[in-house]
This record gives sequence, C-alpha cells and structure tokens, in this order.
Amino acid sequence: MKKRVGVFVCECGTNIAATVDTERVAEYAKTLPGVVYATNYKYMCSDPGQELIRNAIQEQNLEQVVVASCSPRMHENTFRKATATGGLNAYMMEMVNIREQNSWVTHDREQATRKAQSLVRMAVAKALRNRPLQAATVPITKKAMVIGGGIAGMQAALDIAEGGQQVVIVEREASIGGKMTQLDKTFPTMDCAA
Amino acid sequence: MVAAAQHPNIELMTYSEVTQVSGYIGNFKVTVKQKPKYVDWDACTGCGTCMEKCPTKKLADEFDFGMGKRTAIHKLFPQAVPGKPYIDAENCLKLTKDKCGICEKVCPTDSINFKDMAVFKEIEIGAIVMATGYDQFDWKSAYGEYGYGKYPDVISGLEFERLISAGGPTGGKIIRPSDGSEPKNIAFIKCVGSRDDTKGKSYCSRACCMYTAKHAYQVKTKIEDSEAYVFYMDVRTAGKNYEEFYQRALNAGAKYIRGRVSKIYPQGNKLILKSEDTLLGRQLEVEADMVVLATAMVPSTGAAELAKKIGFSVDKDGWFQEAHPKLQPVETFAAGVYLAGTCQGPKDIPDTVAQASGAAVKVLGLFSKTELATEPMTSEVDISKCSGCGLCVPICPYNALSLVEIKERGGHGHGPFTRQVAEVNSSLCQGCGACLPACRTLALNLKGFSNDQLVAEVDALCL
Repeated sequence: MKKRVGVFVCECGTNIAATVDTERVAEYAKTLPGVVYATNYKYMCSDPGQELIRNAIQEQNLEQVVVASCSPRMHENTFRKATATGGLNAYMMEMVNIREQNSWVTHDREQATRKAQSLVRMAVAKALRNRPLQAATVPITKKAMVIGGGIAGMQAALDIAEGGQQVVIVEREASIGGKMTQLDKTFPTMDCAA
Repeated sequence: MVAAAQHPNIELMTYSEVTQVSGYIGNFKVTVKQKPKYVDWDACTGCGTCMEKCPTKKLADEFDFGMGKRTAIHKLFPQAVPGKPYIDAENCLKLTKDKCGICEKVCPTDSINFKDMAVFKEIEIGAIVMATGYDQFDWKSAYGEYGYGKYPDVISGLEFERLISAGGPTGGKIIRPSDGSEPKNIAFIKCVGSRDDTKGKSYCSRACCMYTAKHAYQVKTKIEDSEAYVFYMDVRTAGKNYEEFYQRALNAGAKYIRGRVSKIYPQGNKLILKSEDTLLGRQLEVEADMVVLATAMVPSTGAAELAKKIGFSVDKDGWFQEAHPKLQPVETFAAGVYLAGTCQGPKDIPDTVAQASGAAVKVLGLFSKTELATEPMTSEVDISKCSGCGLCVPICPYNALSLVEIKERGGHGHGPFTRQVAEVNSSLCQGCGACLPACRTLALNLKGFSNDQLVAEVDALCL
C-alpha cells in the first residue's frame, strides 16, 4: 500500500482560486498518507501544467497522480494522457472535481477550501488502490447510417460518401429532401431550394 | 437530392423507419422497417401511368398542407427522389374495399403488389448520424387569439412557402386559401410559439426572422400595390449577409411594426389585427387579406423515442442533447452517434449544412482507424464468488451481462460438475456500475471503481 502519490491542484485562473485556497489544499495534501509531492498551478491543463505533472512523475518517482481541477468530463483524457506520457499507466490518475461541484456552487471560501481538502483526501485513498488497466481493441464496421434524409442527412451522407465510406440513409417519407423540398427560394441568396 | 441518390457509396432506404438499435461504437446493429409501398420500386420505371389512371383523385395533399390534391397512388411530390410512386393504403379503393385495382392493370411493368408487407432488415454499421430535423409548432392548439386555425387565411410560414413555390399547388401564385383571390395586404407575425413561455417555447427558433424578411420581400416584389406588415419582437439577423437581406426587404417597402398581435378577428372578408406599436407607444389595428405566422420549430415527432432506443438523451425541449454545448456540438453521450441539423436545436440552412459536414468528419475520423480502443473501466466477475443467481443480468441497460456454464473439477467426494456464472461482454459494458448493487456476493466489481476503492473513499471522508 505504500505508494508514492502526487497531488496537483489547479487554480483554473480564478474559476477555482477565487473560492478555494488552492495553496492550502496543496499543503494539506502533503500531510496525507502516501502523498510525497503536492503543488498548485494556475492552469493544470495547459502545456506547462501538464509538463509539471510529467516532470514530477519522473523526478519524484510517482506511482499515482491525483489532479484536483474541473469535471472529468472536461479534462480526464487530458490528464490521463499526461500521466501516460510521464511514464505511468494512464489509469493511475484520479481526478477531483473542485470546480463544478465546489468553487462554482458557493461563495464561502473557508467551506469550499475544506470541501476541496476532503475531496482530495478521498481521491488519495482511492488512488492508493488503483490498478493499471489496459484498453482492449474492437474492430470497426466501416459503414455509416444517417437517420433522416433532409438537408442535414443528405449533406452528412454526401460528405461521408465522398470520403470513400459506405452510407445508408433511412428516411421515413417516400422521398429524401425533407423540409427543403417544400421551400421556395431561400435567404439570403434567393436561390432555389431543390 | 439527386447527388445523394446517385452516389455509388450511398444506399437510400426511403419510407423506412429505425425500430431497434443495439451494439456500440464501431459495431451497431440496426433494425430498419421498410413500410409497404405496394409498388415494386426495382421494377417500376416511374412512368406515372398509374397516377394518371387512379380514380381516387381528390385526396388532400399533405405535402401542400391540403391546398393541393393528389391520387391514392402518388409520389410525395413530382420531383421525389427516388421518383417512384407508392400507395396510400388508407385511401386506396383496392386495399380498403377490394375494388378498382386499375393501377395494377395499367402498369406496364407489373410493379403493383397489393399484398406487399413491411420488411424488417438488420443492418450492421459503425456510426450513426442523427438528422431527424424538426416539425412546426402546433399553433392551432395554442393560439386562440389567432383563431385556433378556424380562419382559413391565417396560415403558417411553411404553408406560405407552398403558395409562393413554383412547384406548389398554385404554381407560385399567392392566393387566399378561402376564396382563391389575390391578397393585397399580408401581415406576418413572428415568434408564434417561440420566445413565449406561456403558450409555446422559451427559445428563439432562429430562422424565422430571415424567412419572414424573405416572405415580405417576395410579397412586395410579386404582388403589385401590396403591403407587407411584419409584427416583431426583435429582428435578429445574425448571419453572413443577413442584415443586408433584411435591409433589402425594408427597401422593397416591407413595413416593420414592433409589437405582439393580441387578436385577429374577421370583418367581412378581411382580417383585423389588433396590436400595439411599442416604438410609438400606441394601439393600432391593421386590416389584412391574409396572415402568415412564423411558427416555432419543435423536435420531429418520435425523435425522443428514437433517442431512447439508441441510448442518448434529449434536452428539456426534446432536442437531441449534444455532449458539450461549445466543444462537442455534434457528439452525443452515446459514442459513435453524431448530430446534424435541427434535431439538435433550431437552426437555419447554412448552420445545418455546416453541422452536417462536421458530423461527417467525425464519422470519417472514426472510420480512418483500423480498430478502436475500448474503455477498460468495465465490470468484471470474480467467478469464485459468483453464485450464478442472475440478478445482475436484467439490470444491465447495455445487455452486457449473461449467464454462462463453467466446468468445475469437483472434490470432497463430488465428481466434476457444471455451474452457472455471470459473464461480462466488455465491448458492450459501458462501466455504469448499475449491476454492482445487485450482486449479493460482491462478485461483481467495476474496474477503476472497485468496491474496496469506494469503501476507502468513504472511510477517508468519515473516519
């Protein structure tokens, strides 16, 4: 269980830092079991921010990475890649959302900072139990289906077809064309809709 | 249209609907129902003899909103692609009363088949582009002040398009649906159903300001001594050359009045519109021969059910939900399913075409790979703990769990035996974790979110 964890607290400009004392969160993280390195930085997703993670992995011999920043939906892939290029399995990274679920939903700096500390404490406990995971691969059926044969469907189908791939257009009416076929001239050029 | 129909890489399945979707990115299985057309389109040459001879000639043509007439065997419109007719089963004399059958007799290629049935086809594909479009807001059930549809000369913008279209029921001549006379004064009301929280939708439908400007311009240039009154809340012309187009309508003589029309009522054969001019701060009444409503766009009928079948969400108004409003506007939360056009939200033609090309690029990007990495955070079964109870199987929303038989060596006086255990198809598993609470022996675990990790998190928070 004695794994070396690094904690990276993002300020997201003022998105997080205005409400969460990121320096205090980083200092607190250093006191947690397993954590050997912790720091805060203005934009962790930026190039220098990712470089910070990569360097720390190598210089501090980190085995686990915890990034406290935005929603995983936003940057989980970014930090997984940074972790992988730093030399670790991409799934040895835990993300803590201290923006959408913390700094953006309160003005209370003290409470927000304490919540960020709790969230980081939880993530470190989880990270200590992370196992490397490997992505499997599946084949791709290279044929697309476009549902709807109006102007959007036709354009998408034509572009895919021009790209050299097979497309099926499924249209519920007996003709493709959609609403466009009901239009006369179209703005702003007044050319025909057919 | 013709370009799409003729492209060697495009297969058209018209008069067809998607009934079932299973699988995952790169490997979907879609069941498509081909509705019965009663005409063998492979044999049909589209000569049109059947439509000429069909005795049921006076059906209201839906394509022209009932302003034109059609036969029971018909094309959706004369330039339909594919240019083949189909039979409207509800109104065909042969199919409803077993009479007539003239089309079968006159067809030179024996293409008519009254026994045609729906065909279900299963198709394997790697990506889906949703392009289901929009419908018009049903103003007739909401706007009593505009007559709930009981005044024939109050029509929607799309109906007006049919009237001014060279291919429409009047050959492009603007007439009043009530008496066929040419209207002189035409009033346009914008935001009918749009930007109206009480009766309609809160959003702006985005295309109406421009097509209303176009309509007003067309009235002024097509009808001599005409007046085009446009009642508006705002004029939104955010698009390339749009403001210039609006100015063109103004220069042509369109009269823009800032105000909501509060009532329309008939007087003689005219319609009176009561409104106010909020710029002048006074009440006014306008006499019109015809009123055109710029109705809101709403999601296409059945769109939400289709989204549910495929496994992605819709927003509060029923539009397909994009994965991110700014950074992933063509992706959905279902990997491999992309959005094009108004199914994602109201937009005009240039934006629709741009988004469609964006969706196409996403598909081509996916297809440029030879294989696809799967998300490794999936469920796993510890078969030494699994009792084979099967409780997890029906819970999985992705059909990723099944029961399989495994052989055990036996021992302690038992011979070899077989037993059931759960198995995870990791290609189908999306890692949602819904199966975990169902597992009473803790045999199921989500990789990356294992039971011991979650307990450790709770301990870290509470202890």
